[in-house]
Amino acid sequence: MATDVSIIGQSTRVRGRIIGTADVEVNGFVEGEVAVSGAVIVGVHGMVGAGVAGRRIVIRGSVRGDLVGVESVTVEEGGRVVGDVRAPSVAIAPGALVRGYVQAGETDAMPAIARVSESAKVAPAPAIAVRSAAKVQAPAALVGASGRHAVAAPVSSARAPMAAQQSVPVSTRAGGQTQSPAPKPPAPQQATRQPPPAPVVPALKKVRGQMAKKRER
Amino acid sequence: MTTTVIGAGITVEGEVTTDEDIVVAGTLRGKVQAKEGVTIESGAVVEADVAASSLVIAGALTGNVSAVERVDLQAGARVIGNVKAARVTIADGAQFKGNVDMDV
Repeated sequence: MATDVSIIGQSTRVRGRIIGTADVEVNGFVEGEVAVSGAVIVGVHGMVGAGVAGRRIVIRGSVRGDLVGVESVTVEEGGRVVGDVRAPSVAIAPGALVRGYVQAGETDAMPAIARVSESAKVAPAPAIAVRSAAKVQAPAALVGASGRHAVAAPVSSARAPMAAQQSVPVSTRAGGQTQSPAPKPPAPQQATRQPPPAPVVPALKKVRGQMAKKRER
Repeated sequence: MTTTVIGAGITVEGEVTTDEDIVVAGTLRGKVQAKEGVTIESGAVVEADVAASSLVIAGALTGNVSAVERVDLQAGARVIGNVKAARVTIADGAQFKGNVDMDV
């Protein structure tokens, strides 16, 4: 019998966590986290009630928790994920359901997390503000609270603000969060603020010109 | 054939319940309840109470064991705990410390 591949069978229920250095296939129910350095496959009938971490993660079943892939995360058709997804390569197939913050790629997204956590260390005051904002957003985020504790504390503190503004693009979010250290943020802010005044002035001049013409008449 | 396999390099911490066979080649801590057979392979480390239909042990097990049918301790097995089953075999070369209860 091949015992080099670990399989949680369809009628098996694990009330606890699975950790290790090999590959795991979950076709049953795991209530705790699955954290291995190999591949993780959650099969069609598989369910994981907490976070999943692995080199490559393939989801065909259900996961209520965060997915962190060292290489990739693939949510295939029929797969359901309620939680955040983070990996250099993220694939979500048509017919899959994902509810949470998705972060694909590591070039600028990963430094953004580092920057945010750094700012939390340097300036305690903004960090508190961020935390309270995350609390307010928590009910709307729809992510199970049970799945959140599985991830390491620094990651979750950095991720909380991300969940709070899911629709905002990565670059602007990073700028918004790091106001206190502020080596970079001023640049994008000026860039966005300067353009608007330019059209306003000509518009006013135009209106004045029209009014002046009316007076002449 | 549906089987649960806990392979080498994998650690399961918690309670495992299943209606199918379980093969443990890795590490398992907690509790196991299986309706079918449980196999603890050589090299496996199990620190759990195990209840199953039948049990074959070739690895290390610490905990109490009860089986409906039988428990086989194979050569190389290392078991610390009480064993309760209708039939119990202990192979030559198996290490065992605990009580055996073969009441039916």
